[in-house]
Amino acid sequence: MNQAVGYIAVSTVVLATAFIGFYGLRISRTTSDFFVASRTVRPWWNASAIGGEYLSAASFLGIAGLILLSGQDALWFPIGYTAGYLMLLLFVAAPLRRSGAYTVPDFVGARVESASARRVTSLLVIVVGCLYIVPQLHGAALTVSISTGLPAWVGAVAVAAVVCLVVVTGGMRSITFVQAFQFWLKLTAIAVPVVFLLIVVAREGMTGAELGAQLGDGLLGGTEPASAYRTVSLLVALLFGTLGLPHVLVRFYTNPDGASARRTTLIVLGLLAVFYVFPTVLGFLGRAFMPELAAGGQADAVVLLLPGVIAPGLLGELLTALLIAGGFAAFLSTTSGLVVSLAGVISQELFGGSVRGFRWAAVLASLVPLTVALLSGSSAIAGAVGLVFAFTASTICPALLLGIWWRGLTAPGAIAGMLTGAALCGGAMMLGPALAPLLAGAVPFVGELLAQPAAWTVPLAFGVTIAVSLATASGRPLGVSRVLARLHTPERHRHLPGA
Amino acid sequence: MSAVPGSHVSGSPVPDGPVPGSAPATDQRPQRVRVTAPGSRAAPGTGPAGIRGDPAAGSGADAPSQVAEVYVRSLIRSQLRLALVVAFGFLVSLAAFALVLRLTPELEAERWFGVPVAWLLLAFGVYPMIGLSAWLYVWAAGRNEARYTALAEEGP
Repeated sequence: MNQAVGYIAVSTVVLATAFIGFYGLRISRTTSDFFVASRTVRPWWNASAIGGEYLSAASFLGIAGLILLSGQDALWFPIGYTAGYLMLLLFVAAPLRRSGAYTVPDFVGARVESASARRVTSLLVIVVGCLYIVPQLHGAALTVSISTGLPAWVGAVAVAAVVCLVVVTGGMRSITFVQAFQFWLKLTAIAVPVVFLLIVVAREGMTGAELGAQLGDGLLGGTEPASAYRTVSLLVALLFGTLGLPHVLVRFYTNPDGASARRTTLIVLGLLAVFYVFPTVLGFLGRAFMPELAAGGQADAVVLLLPGVIAPGLLGELLTALLIAGGFAAFLSTTSGLVVSLAGVISQELFGGSVRGFRWAAVLASLVPLTVALLSGSSAIAGAVGLVFAFTASTICPALLLGIWWRGLTAPGAIAGMLTGAALCGGAMMLGPALAPLLAGAVPFVGELLAQPAAWTVPLAFGVTIAVSLATASGRPLGVSRVLARLHTPERHRHLPGA
Repeated sequence: MSAVPGSHVSGSPVPDGPVPGSAPATDQRPQRVRVTAPGSRAAPGTGPAGIRGDPAAGSGADAPSQVAEVYVRSLIRSQLRLALVVAFGFLVSLAAFALVLRLTPELEAERWFGVPVAWLLLAFGVYPMIGLSAWLYVWAAGRNEARYTALAEEGP
């Protein structure tokens, strides 16, 4: 691969991101600007920004890589990523916007009127954020080492540094611009290469039966179908994990009102559905043309390497440059979204919520995951992100959903549920590989259960939350009626004089 | 669009120190409620007046709180029912879709452009279902809220 192409693509995206970030600096002035862009972002802007933030390395590189690795079962990933937004729309979007809280811990703490519940939520949000940033940095490391030949750590450091700089200087307002820009960049960067590659494939004479044979050989190459349990558990994780993702939730506060939060989500669903067509096609092409990558442990690189194989020469290099740019946009946007939401939480917990504290928190929120990423080896990106979804679904999701819809939620219930989910899911993730062989005789399917834990940890976390809440029903917050009314009644009505 | 003045959301931080009464459930004082929306007075519920912010707006002390509370509860119930119905409908159709794909080997054998039809259906066929569910929900949720607004306005 031509290394100049890699350098140019990476530096262009980094510079463009930084430029738009600094441009936003002129607008963001007050604390409210910094945190939620003063809530004046319109649905289309906001939807593009949500899409830009959400489509991470897992979507841009990971899905095609996973299709290459495991074929048909990987197709559930984009479905789950998109359907998660449907659940978000159904259960969370409008009420959360109406809550008026800045961050998820703010919401939970205010809903159950407990500083302890708030602190536990903060801690979990920080864990989730860090877990989610790490695979993004791994994606950046992979992209840089493949496209420029530089050592892998350069990519991770570059992404962390740029994000830190943009967030520290511009805050969320600029991030909204950056994110919206990133979505359209990502869509273009993946759609154009896919169209050109398909044209090349068609014109090379590989039409009809011949192409069919070639694709077919790759498509059927050595995969065993995942068990139904794994698929269901993955879907539980993706569907309910989206509800709890801190960087996704914080976006909803930038809608003007609850109804526009719903409209925004509807647009997001459309944008995601259009986007996911392209990595899927790349995955199919990858199975047909480069099945050997799967064995080499570099499946996630298939998106970047495919143009060089299908269309060697200038066209292939241009398309590769575009894909590298899109990939970098993905790492930058997701990471910056996560750093913003983490910084919001950390600064309110530790630094008293000032703008200065926000900046220090942003530095922390970039440095810690960078350290983890540099110290840990990378695995399949989409799989790692799937586990983060499982953890979020088991911890933040129950408190959030029950807080919005159930009067009976109490502070001890919320805390107990979150801790149970964290212990079970975190335990399965960390101890799973060690425990599975020990328990293999005693418990059937134990390997499956530990490898994809969401299907049992999420219901258990919900169950514990509800049970403890019922047991402590005397401690129901006094203001619950008021809070729930605010979450669910339309804003328009509240401004009427004589209601 | 009702832009929200920033002043309504206090930028002030949460008290950092330990808050008395936060640990045991019995002594829950409403020490801090950040869930605030501008001019919120829709919920003249049972909560103590002036939990936070505008007591001047008379947050419900003089309003017919019982009736308003009933309206709000019924709105919440209908929104929850709607969300559950749409979610359940979507999940059931998704399960049926997956089942049909698994139980129909012809779809695996049949190829379009070399790709098994089952793969194509799974890759691109679910999004219309998601979009339809979402659109239906947004429409119906808006209708629920309009009904609530009408009731609350003409109400007592």
